[in-house]
Amino acid sequence: MPARRVYLDNSATTPVDPRVAAAMARAVLENFGNASSVHGFGQQARAAVDRARREVAALVGAKQNEIVFTSGGTEANNLAIRGLCEAAATHGRHIITSSIEHPSVAGVCVSLEKRGWEVTRLPVYQNGIVRVEDVAAALRPETVLITIMMANNEIGTIQPVAEIGALVRERRAAGHRHLWFHTDAVQAAGRLRLNVDELGCDLLTMSAHKLYAPKGIGALYVRRGVRLHGQNVGGHQERERRAGTENVPGIVAFGEAAKLAREEFEARSVHDRALRDRFEAEVERHIPDIVMNGDREQRLGHLSNISFRFIEGEGLLINLDLEGVAVSTGSACSSGTLEPSPVIRALGVNDELARGSIRFSFGKDNAEDEIEYVVEVLVRAVERLRALSPLTLVGHGLHG
Amino acid sequence: MSYSAKFKDHLAHPRNAGELSDANAVADETNPICGDRLRLSLIVKDDRIEAVRYLAYGCPPTLVCGSVLTELVSGKTVGEARKLTRADLLEEIGGLPSRKHHAAALAIETLNSALQNL
Repeated sequence: MPARRVYLDNSATTPVDPRVAAAMARAVLENFGNASSVHGFGQQARAAVDRARREVAALVGAKQNEIVFTSGGTEANNLAIRGLCEAAATHGRHIITSSIEHPSVAGVCVSLEKRGWEVTRLPVYQNGIVRVEDVAAALRPETVLITIMMANNEIGTIQPVAEIGALVRERRAAGHRHLWFHTDAVQAAGRLRLNVDELGCDLLTMSAHKLYAPKGIGALYVRRGVRLHGQNVGGHQERERRAGTENVPGIVAFGEAAKLAREEFEARSVHDRALRDRFEAEVERHIPDIVMNGDREQRLGHLSNISFRFIEGEGLLINLDLEGVAVSTGSACSSGTLEPSPVIRALGVNDELARGSIRFSFGKDNAEDEIEYVVEVLVRAVERLRALSPLTLVGHGLHG
Repeated sequence: MSYSAKFKDHLAHPRNAGELSDANAVADETNPICGDRLRLSLIVKDDRIEAVRYLAYGCPPTLVCGSVLTELVSGKTVGEARKLTRADLLEEIGGLPSRKHHAAALAIETLNSALQNL
């Protein structure tokens, strides 16, 4: 075990807030009733679920009855896309999405494609951002769904969701009635101020464990009047949208986490951004031959994605891990096949840069003095790996 | 994926990293599928490997295979080194998941290629 441990992977998941854990523990013990039961035990659990639903709805400016609890972001994305497309199939079978969606969106699109749906994947250009004019150009009379994320999970770039929402409203008013808009806001909820009416989306995905709550609970915002085919059937829960006994402790934890995210929004944003900016400034000062991936302005404030030339991400990740620093890389090498991060590749960079990309994501529990340690460890690890890399020699013109 | 202590040690402290300017056997091989690259330089004198250095780019198993290989071949005769197999290298590392075996294959291939260039 390394002497010191620093967790900089808050986009993968966040440490559970003790206040959230306490609320959850109380719910486990006190609200064990089945929320569908008519008796007092059941109604007590129901009341706890309702309170949490209000908090989660408030996080995105939605109404309480527009929130459907799920097992997490992946299930919410599946329910949104599959559920909407199945319900709208008679109106058309065309989906517009971006080329940098999370696998839980991209994968559902691929599976629908295999069943005869057409999918248009929009480019994101060098800055990692979709262009609204591309969305407009891709629209067809048979388009029923646009699914474009609020903020990207690897590079943090913020997509023009409100502008796309405005476009959708405009097209609907002009007669394209069967057009809906979903946004995966798993990375953005709690980190950006979101309001579903301002965004103009019909469906919005959230996940609790990115908000200092435990895994296993998420939510889908479903605008009133939007029809979805339930994907879990066999029960009346969640207004027929998601059958299954409610995960009351998980829901209560999500509610508490959503409440804290709203109350502490400003402080957390300022804190995370200050750490991230200081980190990036230090890295730029100490390490040459790097590329910061994604738009520098239109991105989440807690995240930094950097490509280190001449080296590969996983080697760097493990070297950092040996010193107690946890980060992530989008690249993977398996079965002898190179799989550089599809998100970084979508920025139009070469394989070497895509393979050398590392995501550092900060959170409320990170402290200022951790940055100094991480930079020190990072400088050492990059130097060591570069000293080992034949590409360093090529890159510096010392070898062919 | 969890790596062995020996694996991590070689990753954090690569042995024999670098190049030999007076090498008489050199090879630089790239795995065409994943782009991993290994460069070996050896000094062979009186049929014995007197010195060896390596450079590597790629996933951690490639970096580690290079490092472990240099320790394996140091002091060996050319004949002994030529007999080394992918399995020998994997055994020395303490095993790798099958999907990472290509890293050991690249190391052995680069070694054979260097020895052929003698």
